[in-house]
Amino acid sequence: MNQESDSLSPHQSLDLIQSMIRQAQGNMSNNSFYFILWGWVVVIANLGMYSMIKYTEFQYPHYVWLIAIPAWIVTMVYGSRQGRKQRRTSHLDKINMWLWIGFGVCLLPFIVFITKVNYNINPIILIITSLPTFVTGVMLRFKPLIWGGISFYVFGIICFLMSPIDQFLIGAIAIACGYLIPGYLLKATKEKNV
Amino acid sequence: MFKDLDPLLHSQLRLAVMSLLISVESAEFTFIKEKTGATAGNLSVQIDKLSTAGYIDVNKSFKGKMPLTTCNITKKGIKAFEDYVNSLKGYINK
Repeated sequence: MNQESDSLSPHQSLDLIQSMIRQAQGNMSNNSFYFILWGWVVVIANLGMYSMIKYTEFQYPHYVWLIAIPAWIVTMVYGSRQGRKQRRTSHLDKINMWLWIGFGVCLLPFIVFITKVNYNINPIILIITSLPTFVTGVMLRFKPLIWGGISFYVFGIICFLMSPIDQFLIGAIAIACGYLIPGYLLKATKEKNV
Repeated sequence: MFKDLDPLLHSQLRLAVMSLLISVESAEFTFIKEKTGATAGNLSVQIDKLSTAGYIDVNKSFKGKMPLTTCNITKKGIKAFEDYVNSLKGYINK
């Protein structure tokens, strides 16, 4: 590309602008890793809680949620590595990142004050999760994730109608529909496009 | 010839750099080099001119042990780019 182009006509300038914008935009980073990781973590934790409460006398079934700690560490390490690999950050990438950080911040008080609501936070969490999942699906133009977001909302409402113990089972099914299935489909799409 | 057009932007490579940066939050030097097809030396000179004019910010850091240069457009750069595009439209509609 030339350093100076005095002969650049207005039409050529506009063509150049359009072509560069098209090249830069691309798609938002398609990252299925987080959906699959957190999908499995939450499914295992929910099923663990459900089976321990229902079939055992174990007094601290909520200890199963400790598996979220290594998952957080993996998320942070992976996120930082991905950030270093990325050669350009799109506006959508930034919006998506803040959307999920905001989601985590909103979840925090429910987890900290979980005893105040007698550990029954499943319906609330599912309904809150529906928002970032749905919006990420829209930004990626990926329908399974959009439907995943909608399914979180529906399962959240169903949860309100169930007993506290059955809510863990519903939670596991919701995460499988909202995170795991779209996550694996997203991964398959990415591999197909490579 | 095109007197109203910002001479800093009315250059093929600088305009290409600004068009890339207007579409993203930030981009690495190597990304801009690859997309514009410019040589590293030429691109450095043009980025320096845009940076001196306050149209872009250039951040230098390290990726592991390798130096990393990242660029992003400033508010002044966005305004200049918009004015440039409006002037272009004026010429085309004449």
